[in-house]
Amino acid sequence: MSRKMVLVDTSKCTGCKACTVACKEWNELPAEKTKLVTSYQTMKDFTPNTWTYMTFTEKYEKQKMNWYIRKAQCFHCEEPACLKSCSSNAISKKDSGYVVIDQELCIGCGFCVENCPFGVPKLDKTTKKAYKCTGCIDRVENGLIPSCVATCQPGTLQFGERETLMAEAKKRLAEVQKTHPKARIYGETEMGGTTFVYLLLDDPEVYGLPVNPQTPLSLTLWKDVVRPVGKIAVGGAAAAVVVGVMGNLLRGGYRGKDSDE
Amino acid sequence: MSSLTPSFGRGAMTNSWSDLQNSQVFLIAGSNCAENHPIAMRWINRAKAKGAKVIVVDPRFTRTASQADVFAQIRPGTDIAYLGAIINYIIENKVYDEDYLRKHTNALLKINKDYKFEEGLFSGFDSKTNKYGTASWSYQLDADKKPLQATSFEDSDCVMSKLKEHYARYTFDTAEKITGIPAAKIKEIAETFCGARPGSILYALGMTQHTTGVQGIRAYAVIQLLLGNVGKAGGGINALRGEPNVQGSTDMANLVNNLPGYLPYPINTDQTLQDYLVRNGSVQEKPIVALLKAWFGENATKENDYGFGYIPKTNPAVNATMVKVFELMEKGQFKLLFNFGSNSLVSIANRQLVRSALRKVDMLVVSDLYEIETAQFWREPGVNPAEIQTEVIMFPAAFVYEKDGSLTNSSRWIQWKDAALKPLGEAKPDLDIIDSLFKKLRHLYVGSTEAKDAPILKARWDYGEEPSALKVLQELGGYDETTGQVLPTLASYLNAPVGTVSTGCWVYAGVTGNGNLAARRKNDDPSGLGLYTGWSYAWPGNIRILYNRASCDDQGQPLDAKRKLVWWDDEKKLWTGNDGPDVADKTKGPDTPQGMQSFRMNPEGVGRLFAATYTSGMPTTPPADGKPVIGVRPAALCVDGPFPEFYEPTESPTTNLLHPAVSESPTAIVPSAFPEIQKRGKPEDYPYVLTTYGVVEHFCAGGITRNIPWLNELMPEPFAEISKNLAQKIGVKEGDKVEVSSARGKVEVRCLVTDRLQTYKINGKDTETIGMPWSWGFASLSPGPSTNELTIASIDPGAGTPETKVCLVNLRRA
Repeated sequence: MSRKMVLVDTSKCTGCKACTVACKEWNELPAEKTKLVTSYQTMKDFTPNTWTYMTFTEKYEKQKMNWYIRKAQCFHCEEPACLKSCSSNAISKKDSGYVVIDQELCIGCGFCVENCPFGVPKLDKTTKKAYKCTGCIDRVENGLIPSCVATCQPGTLQFGERETLMAEAKKRLAEVQKTHPKARIYGETEMGGTTFVYLLLDDPEVYGLPVNPQTPLSLTLWKDVVRPVGKIAVGGAAAAVVVGVMGNLLRGGYRGKDSDE
Repeated sequence: MSSLTPSFGRGAMTNSWSDLQNSQVFLIAGSNCAENHPIAMRWINRAKAKGAKVIVVDPRFTRTASQADVFAQIRPGTDIAYLGAIINYIIENKVYDEDYLRKHTNALLKINKDYKFEEGLFSGFDSKTNKYGTASWSYQLDADKKPLQATSFEDSDCVMSKLKEHYARYTFDTAEKITGIPAAKIKEIAETFCGARPGSILYALGMTQHTTGVQGIRAYAVIQLLLGNVGKAGGGINALRGEPNVQGSTDMANLVNNLPGYLPYPINTDQTLQDYLVRNGSVQEKPIVALLKAWFGENATKENDYGFGYIPKTNPAVNATMVKVFELMEKGQFKLLFNFGSNSLVSIANRQLVRSALRKVDMLVVSDLYEIETAQFWREPGVNPAEIQTEVIMFPAAFVYEKDGSLTNSSRWIQWKDAALKPLGEAKPDLDIIDSLFKKLRHLYVGSTEAKDAPILKARWDYGEEPSALKVLQELGGYDETTGQVLPTLASYLNAPVGTVSTGCWVYAGVTGNGNLAARRKNDDPSGLGLYTGWSYAWPGNIRILYNRASCDDQGQPLDAKRKLVWWDDEKKLWTGNDGPDVADKTKGPDTPQGMQSFRMNPEGVGRLFAATYTSGMPTTPPADGKPVIGVRPAALCVDGPFPEFYEPTESPTTNLLHPAVSESPTAIVPSAFPEIQKRGKPEDYPYVLTTYGVVEHFCAGGITRNIPWLNELMPEPFAEISKNLAQKIGVKEGDKVEVSSARGKVEVRCLVTDRLQTYKINGKDTETIGMPWSWGFASLSPGPSTNELTIASIDPGAGTPETKVCLVNLRRA
């Protein structure tokens, strides 16, 4: 299958949350207990049973209200940190660009949870498996479009060939920039180019997104430097301790500690 | 409905959902369509992609506002003030469509010299009854009893002069002091909306749920007629009807003063059909007889006045709209209440009245999917079931996908659907429930000779052993009563002699004629205008854009080359086009009196800037037999005035700047039979303005959606939205609990502190609006306080709609 893309044109999004329900319906995910988080947002973060949700950010400046609404889900990166971190080969990347977790193979080590720069995969404490958006690969491989895209009424979500949609995104960007000069495309180059690509109306950090998402340095050091060397020279466990300490020092980024934990 | 009919002749959205893509500019005011009609945004976004501008006016910055080019925050209930300023702007700057005004409106017609507007009152006001006599709201008539026409807008008697004079008081500055919208912003709205054509106005309950709701929408009609935006693709007034088949149920007469097909409801002085026609015009003869034939079949004959006597008559003095019904119930008028598809205990303003009134009936029957609040009023927290004698019976109703039938959407498309699933458990479609109930009831009446029982015994009721929804639709579409065949087309109804055809709803005539037209699913759109004329069937006569004759010039050719709806084919001598031509007779050319008319359902044949008292076809000499005269078509009126005028809401933080002595609408109905329940607050005690609304995550009173876990997690609880200034003043932050109280009750909810509501100035004084969704109640999987504990049930005198959108409240940290 050729490289696919989902364009999330936030300039058209009205925050109706129908995509959230469509996701839960298709994937048979149960509802969870929620409360108002901020603005009209009621889902705080991804969970093993919530693979997509909407963020609402209010920004009032120069007597003008901006209500930035974003559908959050797995980006399906070209260079997925989760895949790199996976200790059991449970995560794979398809030709379509989709990154999927095979729960049969997942051993619940939680490395993907720790290393995703967007905080997407979540570990189910009971099943000890990691879960996230599948991009509706089961639908797409059978000729259907993703469930969230199929339900979207305002035309925010579009599914198609990456090249075609990227051109469409750029055309939209030129239009949107007339009223929102900070508008940008997010996901064209980030993490090697993601499958879900956003047209944002403001800077990524306004939406709670990292400006420059990276595979954590600790993971790169471990997988690409220490581990290969370690296999030859020193014991892997010893190297892991070294890298772990370094990693904790280096780690930071946009994600704060989850206040519930 | 109550404002569009007096303006255009039909009480329906003029255009369609898919037509929104043709607009150049939108004024969305009184509608939060991104929340409550999400599908609208699909078409609005298509128009935006072609360069259309979107103006949103709302008490809050809503999800719809997030898509707007121009947004203005308005004090709830003050729309007519800024709309009046826009009317004034249009006239002062002559940005109106003069040609359209001359040909398609009553701008040039001369008004009765007794007509006046002084100190907030129109002529004819009776201060004893708080009602208007409408005799002076008439035209000057010629010898043929037709309105006199001026030659120029300068004629001081003509409608246009009166309009200019009336709105001269509405300056941008005055409008700012009343609405809280800066004058410059109102000017920007006026310039943006008048600067592009066609322009569309969208409204919904944000406009109707006021004591001045009818007149607010009349102001839209005046603006759209001035700009020549009615009868055009991309124009019109789009009254967004709700998803639960609101348009269909209105067609079927869910309004108290209607019979199906918008026939006026007979009143207690209509002893005979003749009396009814004297009041309502000869034009109603065919539809009411066809209706009586549908309901009473062979028992409706010319000899028995077609069974007119079988229809119960109403007392117009009672005007039993929803709030009034509960008032009557509280007084002990009813023994039994059937409650189908309504969650009144959550949805009715000042729900204390509902809570109290439901105890007064002997038996309450609720038909619903879930045991909604109304069905369990006897166990609301704080209520002692031992004190309640009402017997409650619950009918398990089938869900929309579990039954066959048609739904009529806001575009007037009658759309057929087949059941997708079998009803769960013992649940049954409403039709089956009512059919079985009626059959059992009728059995109990067998043998009765009492006149009051005749309608039950004489009714035609033939939907089959297992009732068929298609048979119901066929009854609406009509039968040739001489052959028993379904009517093939609307024309076959229109051309038939009175008494030979039946229709359960004459505007649906022909819907099942050549097959079930409502089931058509042809999805092509050759004109590219979103007409989809092969998809389902739109009433009347499959016309997608109402009044579309106004889109043509004198020769009957389209004025807008990009948006060709209909035209006169001079070779075939026929009106034709991409859409169904909205003309009385397709063979009458554009130069004939009939072929010129764009608003043929109005007695004048034109759109009405001034809602005048007028009946067409009045005889010039009295009939020889001495009987009362019957005209052809009387105009629909607005009981609160021929022009929209600004009045403060019943509960308001200020007095009317234009006429302080007549601050509120003088004709508004403020129910006060039960002073302990129907209290009224003062701004000294309740300084903040409350407005209420729905959220996209829940549907109406939440009877269904609050029982769906996936929707509950999207919006788990009600809340109060307040400005940052107000939050600071009462010392709360986002997520804290607050107590909101009105003269009628109080509720405790979490607060959302937001910049989407700003403090604003009313006549120089800082004012705050608080916003609360209303879809919660004490039952369901996601219970929460009902906002209608706070609202006031004062009523629009024309439509009977309660003023749910504005009342006064106080707020404190809980």
